[in-house]
Amino acid sequence: MGVPALFRWLSQKYPKIISSVIEEKSTEIDGHEVPVDTSKPNPNGEEFDNLYLDMNGIVHPCSHPEDRPPPATEGEMMQAIFEYTDRVAAMVRPRKLLLIAVDGVAPRAKMNQQRSRRFRSAQEAKEKDEDNAEFAKMLKSQNGDAHEFADSMAQKKTWDSNAITPGTPFMDKLAASLRYWAAYKVNTDPAWAKVKIIISDATVPGEGEHKIMEFIRSQRSSPEHDPNTRHVLYGLDADLIMLGLGSHEPHFRVLREDVFFQESKARTCKICGQKGHMAEACKGLAKPKDGEFDEKDKALPLKPFIWLHVSVLREYLEAELYVPQQPFRFDLERALDDWVFMCFFVGNDFLPHLPSLDIREDGIDTLIAIWRDNIPLMGGYVVKDGVVNLERAQLILDGLAKQEDAIFRRRKQTEERRDANAKRRKVEQENRNGNRNSTGGPPNGRRKSPDYSTPAHMRGGKVREPTGPPEGLQLFEAGKGISAEQKALTHDMVINRGAVYKANLENKSAAAALKSQLLKGTLGSEASSNAVGTPANDEKSVGKSNDLVNNGSSPTTPASALGKRKADLMDGDDSSTPGMNTPDSTTKGQADSDEPAPDHVRLWEEGYADRYYEQKFKVDPGDIAFRNSVARSYVEGLAWVLLYYFQGCPSWTWYYPHHYAPFAADFVELDKMKIKFEKGRTFKPFEQLMGVMPAASDHTIPEVFRPLMSDPDSPIIDFYPTEFPIDLNGKKFAWQGVAILPFIDETRLLEAMATKYPLLSAEDVARNEKGKDVLIMSEQHPLYEEIATTFYSKRQSSPSLKLDSRISQGLTGTVEKNDDYLPQSSLTFPLAETEMPSLEEDHSIRYDPHSLQVVTIDRSSVHFEIPKSNHMHKSMLLRGIKLAPPVLDRSDIEATKGRAGKSGRSFGGA
Amino acid sequence: MSWFEIQPLSRFTGSNAAIRRPREIACFSYDDEHRFHPDERSLRYYYPPVLGADLSKGFDTFKQLDDTADDHLDGLLKTILHLEQRTGTRCAADFITWRGMMTKGTIFIEENHEHKVASRQSQHSQPSHFGGPSQEMMSFWGYKFETLSLIPDTWDATPRDVIENRENEVVNNHAQYCSIVKTGIGKAKLIIGGEVDAVWDSKPRNKNDAINWVELKTSATISNERDMLKYERKLLKFWIQSFLLGVPKIIVGFRTKDGILERLEELETSGIPGTVKKKGKGSWDGNTCIGFAAAFLDWLKATITEGGVWRIRRRERSPVIEVFKLEEA
Ligand SMILES: [Mg+2]
Repeated sequence: MGVPALFRWLSQKYPKIISSVIEEKSTEIDGHEVPVDTSKPNPNGEEFDNLYLDMNGIVHPCSHPEDRPPPATEGEMMQAIFEYTDRVAAMVRPRKLLLIAVDGVAPRAKMNQQRSRRFRSAQEAKEKDEDNAEFAKMLKSQNGDAHEFADSMAQKKTWDSNAITPGTPFMDKLAASLRYWAAYKVNTDPAWAKVKIIISDATVPGEGEHKIMEFIRSQRSSPEHDPNTRHVLYGLDADLIMLGLGSHEPHFRVLREDVFFQESKARTCKICGQKGHMAEACKGLAKPKDGEFDEKDKALPLKPFIWLHVSVLREYLEAELYVPQQPFRFDLERALDDWVFMCFFVGNDFLPHLPSLDIREDGIDTLIAIWRDNIPLMGGYVVKDGVVNLERAQLILDGLAKQEDAIFRRRKQTEERRDANAKRRKVEQENRNGNRNSTGGPPNGRRKSPDYSTPAHMRGGKVREPTGPPEGLQLFEAGKGISAEQKALTHDMVINRGAVYKANLENKSAAAALKSQLLKGTLGSEASSNAVGTPANDEKSVGKSNDLVNNGSSPTTPASALGKRKADLMDGDDSSTPGMNTPDSTTKGQADSDEPAPDHVRLWEEGYADRYYEQKFKVDPGDIAFRNSVARSYVEGLAWVLLYYFQGCPSWTWYYPHHYAPFAADFVELDKMKIKFEKGRTFKPFEQLMGVMPAASDHTIPEVFRPLMSDPDSPIIDFYPTEFPIDLNGKKFAWQGVAILPFIDETRLLEAMATKYPLLSAEDVARNEKGKDVLIMSEQHPLYEEIATTFYSKRQSSPSLKLDSRISQGLTGTVEKNDDYLPQSSLTFPLAETEMPSLEEDHSIRYDPHSLQVVTIDRSSVHFEIPKSNHMHKSMLLRGIKLAPPVLDRSDIEATKGRAGKSGRSFGGA
Repeated sequence: MSWFEIQPLSRFTGSNAAIRRPREIACFSYDDEHRFHPDERSLRYYYPPVLGADLSKGFDTFKQLDDTADDHLDGLLKTILHLEQRTGTRCAADFITWRGMMTKGTIFIEENHEHKVASRQSQHSQPSHFGGPSQEMMSFWGYKFETLSLIPDTWDATPRDVIENRENEVVNNHAQYCSIVKTGIGKAKLIIGGEVDAVWDSKPRNKNDAINWVELKTSATISNERDMLKYERKLLKFWIQSFLLGVPKIIVGFRTKDGILERLEELETSGIPGTVKKKGKGSWDGNTCIGFAAAFLDWLKATITEGGVWRIRRRERSPVIEVFKLEEA
């Protein structure tokens, strides 16, 4: 979900939902690495049944890792993915099932956001490549002799992470590799003999996390499902915890890297003295041994992981959402769905958030207060099993509308106060620094024009304090020495960063910044032996340039900029909050400039709505009906999102047709609305590629389609602008702004593509087909026998088998025979160029290493079909649930209740 | 007249008589009008009731089955006939009976219906103690608890409204699902029929797999030692009823003396004798019960060697069980 700071907000407000993962590391005996024996009890004190991997949360980080150079080949990339997956799997040690879900084609409503991301990242990548080339040229000319680094820099093409999109050849290889990994696992690791692995690759439509949720709902709808199944969901999106809540399976945890590790490691827990958590989250656990022999930390510390406990969040919300003395019974499950609904107002991937609601202004608290105040009027909950009661939603929005003006005014006041404080601090600091700081650069640099004229360490080791760091980032502390890690990082950032996240870091690429330094002449001929500031964002880091030629293999840990990149990754794209800062509509060029454009909407002044609609929507300020229609589309969107989360995608074709959200005041007569969705069909992979890719990433698309994106005579050339405006919409950074891209017209896209389809190669045609989930298990699993006798005994019966959950150990669904198999085949890694262990006699899978196609699938791998229910999935606990003992104590509950009565009312009650 | 000595009980204690796991061979249903159907239409599923519910609510609209007419073993036998016709094989057993009773080559055991109706009459006409609930009300509570705890289909297929509206549903005890199982105690082979309240998950696809039946019971909240002893004796009834049909799980709804549902407890049937022995007062012993049943059935088989209608009788507080012929074949 595109809610920046959602994770931080959650972890601050509900501190006990987080605890650190106890990870056993592999040991080394006589120079051999001995992997962790995951058949042993889980060191976290609890066993888990099912692990779900939102795989894009592994693939993306592996394509541009923080602690090493990016993989040079796709084979190396796969290796990195295997390692990461192994690590996560060893932490969780699922005993029953592993579901690996890769994003497949997404609903149309999501594609608009994907398109925006990819257009931006392509633009950044292009700039970076140009910058790299130019920088290298410059180094050469200034340095005289040809420079190894310069050469490598000039040649280095940024790996286009846009290839991580369904339908690309890369995704095919990924799918084959994952099947190899799974087969290898069940064949070689005894801990996996009883674990079923399902792989839902990119050929299966749907976003990864939503395929996971669909799976969980399908299992819940089976009467044989064990309500006490322990689920772990790994992924990076901050809203996975909402999906966890929405599953109504209380034994649910979200697993993720601790993105705030850097800052929390500086401070250790006051209670137990251990790292990785704060006193509030201390569970009083004994220090975990590092492996069986408590061996020394390895030279390269891995970033620790944390648990997010859905069960604990349920406890907090039970206290917070309980409104006493109502004529209807308090139903926590229903209240939780309402809470998720309110979070959607503040941000989601499918709709821009309401201008008056911002997570950093505790927008969710504002809504909860309105909700609590309106419960007696509503007489029940807003959401029922993913369906919005529009009459009640109107009451919530009315409550917000009453406060809207005050919220905008308060925002402005806060902003002014912050600016004034920043200015004051700056003056103070400049006075302190005296003339040491006056060696170069503009005397009155603005926050977005960092001063690189003098390397920071020459300025007395002082790095200018940023005036308004975005939340969720840690900063290099002023005056502190720069560690070797940070230096290496600096180097790494300069030469290796993938462009995607860079786009989110700053408007300038690192190389561009270096270039600007060079232009200012400070690097000069000493470029190879002097310091280089890395202006990767507001806060500046410093590295010696000998790092520039380091071999790139030195152990590094992520520092500030990468922390930010990570924070950003987990929060997804930002959706902007107008009026948060200052500027208004601006082109990309303006966004890069030092002077933010003035904000002409001025939300804090009367008449803002007129100005907003006039400027953003280009409609007549008197056209109130238009505003109401925008609000109706928005409500449709909310209804869509809720169904998407709680029932599965209600329409593959619906999308919100505007770049901006309406005001709360624009929602009227919702109770008269009838919302109905047409299911529609999913895009085919190539259609989605054409729908989200910019022309610059056309290498991901079969050649026959490429002219449609670049040929001036293409009937759809208007879908692929190379330059597009970014409206900062009140934000500071271009990446936070709204990319004003034309919406894709599906009919025109499909018509244009239809002329090219006949020209596709057979291989491409195959890659455009919808695929199926694959189920892989060891022959030691009881299900193996069942499947083998059904499909491969002498009298072969039906082509599909409905799983008996007593044999499958809890899994319900249907499996289908895969027709092409060769018995007694061997298992080899599908990417020919990379060394991977092979197995003589695989009992799962075989690939043809030349074509990279899966040519044979043995008995233990079959197609798996998620059971489909014809019924609504109900937000209820299942019979037989045994809730975990409460984690919150009396004082936590009292404090939560106390806050619930007071918070969110700073703008007057509802 | 032959008789079977009950005492000394100790002779049954170490008998080690084996019990064969009950397996459902057929089932039948009575619908809402108590009409017989040789199918599973009245199968119900368990979904927990809302705590705090008033078990007395709806007493005035209770649609109570009039069971004054003697059905004998009709439903059970009709279903077995049906099964025999369908499969073309005879159901072999030493005894055929209802659960709670225990049929020659089968001996058919049924209750003395006349006697039951008469004794219930006298019980119900007794005034309740201290203005507490009447016997009728207490028996209503049991049915109400069932209505609150059952759903007509699997959880997934049952609409939310149906689940949430159970408190307002008219209590009707006409419908029943009856399971007919084959089992064995000691050397005796039995076919037992009995009503089962609900299934926990769903009937397994493989007919040989055990069915996760659920038995629903209500009990007064235990607040002192005396209650505890009373409850423990009740557990004996719960246990026998359930294990004979192979019901693995009993859900007890504890209620206040005013019939407010306070709390639920899930009991594993197989664990009940052990719990009574180890944690309770040890007022009864499961092994002795099984040994007694095995010995008695063995004796009965040896005693009833010719057709006709026989009566099994135990007079109040008598140390013997009498068996004698009422009618010639
Ligand atoms: Mg995703």
